[in-house]
Amino acid sequence: MFEAKRLHPAAIIFNLIRTVREFLFAIILGFITFRDESLLYFVLILAGLVVIFIGASVLTWYRYTYRIEDDELRIEYGVFIRKKRYISKNRIQSIDLTSGIIHRIFKLTKVQIETAGSGMSAEASLSAVKLEEGEAIRAELKTSGTHQQAADDPHEETGEWAEKTNPSSTISFKRLFIAGTTSGSIGVILALGAAGFSELEQFIPESFFDETLEWVIGLGIIILIVMAFFALLLFWLLGIAGTMIKYGKFTITKNENELFITRGLLEKKQSTIPLKRIQAVGIQESIIRQPLGYVTVFAEIAGGSANKGEDFSSILFPIMKRDEVEAFLETFLPDYAGLHELTPLPKRSRKFYIMRSSVLFVLIVATVAIFFPSFVWAPVLLLIAGVFLGRLRHKDGGFNVQGQRLTIRHRVFSRNTIMLYHKRVQAFEKKQHKVQRLQNLASMTLSIVGRMGTGTHFTIKDLEESHVDELSDWYSRRN
Amino acid sequence: MRQPPVNRIAPDAIKAWKISAALAEGVIWLVTIALFVLAFIFEFSYWYGAGAALISMITTVLFVFVLPKVRWRRWRYEVFEQEIYIQHGILIVSRTLVPMIRVQHVDTKQGPILKKYNLASVEISTAATTHEIPALLEEDASELRDRISALARVDEDDV
Repeated sequence: MFEAKRLHPAAIIFNLIRTVREFLFAIILGFITFRDESLLYFVLILAGLVVIFIGASVLTWYRYTYRIEDDELRIEYGVFIRKKRYISKNRIQSIDLTSGIIHRIFKLTKVQIETAGSGMSAEASLSAVKLEEGEAIRAELKTSGTHQQAADDPHEETGEWAEKTNPSSTISFKRLFIAGTTSGSIGVILALGAAGFSELEQFIPESFFDETLEWVIGLGIIILIVMAFFALLLFWLLGIAGTMIKYGKFTITKNENELFITRGLLEKKQSTIPLKRIQAVGIQESIIRQPLGYVTVFAEIAGGSANKGEDFSSILFPIMKRDEVEAFLETFLPDYAGLHELTPLPKRSRKFYIMRSSVLFVLIVATVAIFFPSFVWAPVLLLIAGVFLGRLRHKDGGFNVQGQRLTIRHRVFSRNTIMLYHKRVQAFEKKQHKVQRLQNLASMTLSIVGRMGTGTHFTIKDLEESHVDELSDWYSRRN
Repeated sequence: MRQPPVNRIAPDAIKAWKISAALAEGVIWLVTIALFVLAFIFEFSYWYGAGAALISMITTVLFVFVLPKVRWRRWRYEVFEQEIYIQHGILIVSRTLVPMIRVQHVDTKQGPILKKYNLASVEISTAATTHEIPALLEEDASELRDRISALARVDEDDV
């Protein structure tokens, strides 16, 4: 792969789309301003712009070349200012292949290459190459890493591995559907809807609101409730669709030293997680899924970029039954297999948990009771929910030490069980305030390497002080 | 972690903290004075100014005269061959263990106030966290930095 290559010409389309998207707002604004008197000029200007955009896209494509040489991926680009970016093979952390709808029409893929601690976007991104070319690039860039690994472990070269088919697991349609119905993404979609609406608001004439309001008031309260119900139902269905599109055909495969994940119904995404980059493995039980016995298995991974959203490369399997986790980990991550009984929090720490999760609502109840006594039931309901959540948080907190492995469990809203190894912990902190000291309680925080060079911190509050001391002795390297 | 770390930070830290707290309080006092002036010009009640003065007074006593001493008394650190042990915090006492092999780099820092008292602070960074030992004597700080840096130079297993 020494000769410099250009991307597939379809990359021109992607360049064009990107440029148009950047100017879209200006174009719409122009249209609104000029729509009456000088529309003709506007159309002329627009036509000129389109020609320029197309020209620029073609030039950008023409000037963009990549090659693999001397164990480096070398990209040269830039129309007026030539830029060269060389990425050394052994600095590459992950290579993701993504195929959007346009990609799939032409049998193409987008290759995204990341190095450690890269910031917001991928270090290098080849927006359109042939699928087999993309796979070849990945194979080529990955080789150095795998050789090194193989040298570390002689057993893997005996051929025993090659004969074995790599273990793999795919999500079933039924499970996918359950994942969608319990995704709880309603809230997210609602928020998005609200945000989108507030953007739109400025383009809707004032009278529209007044008329709608009169109409709605005319309908009466019952119809309003029915409408709200249908709106929620619609969002719920959208949530199901969203989850199905995102996690459709989710497949995880284990190769020698990495996990390989493919997912997506419309846009196909592939990503690799090197096993040695996994910092911790977690089991998440959301408040909706927990009573049904379903969990999500995820991993905390060092490095990676932020814009992909943490739920992409870190989700190892979107949904499975709680009792299937053991077998799953046994197959894919044997180091993390074996769930152990956790040491619970002491009873006397429950009051702290309940206080923390309800103190805000107590204040709200007090305020509402003074100013709007007839509405006091609403915050009281919240207060009850807060107390209940506090009790749950207390009940679910716990830890277990098994040799080098530590398991901790805590709840914010979802219950997370996290398994991590001694060598992955970057720092250990014990915290204690005056009241805790009187009660012989203490909190602890464990820090591990997180995404984008920032740490991920796990805090468990109000443990038995002697337990925290035992854990600190476990962590300490002095003895 | 049952015993606190043994080393204290430099006693001059109290003075340095007092000065920086006093500077911050100065701003608050300026706001208070401004409130009085504005109340005089625009003829609104002086009670706002009085309230601000009370708040300024209380925070000044607390942050300039009381807390630096308490904070100093709490601040302890100890550097072992294998790890760094730090204790700090006024209301919430926090004790942190940082293993040497997790240390990525060590810095010493010195602002104008610390410089006045020949002090410097040491900042220890791991891949996930940063920890600061504030206000050591300059030579202690650089000696500590070099020592941690030397101890941290052990074979690293993969992160």
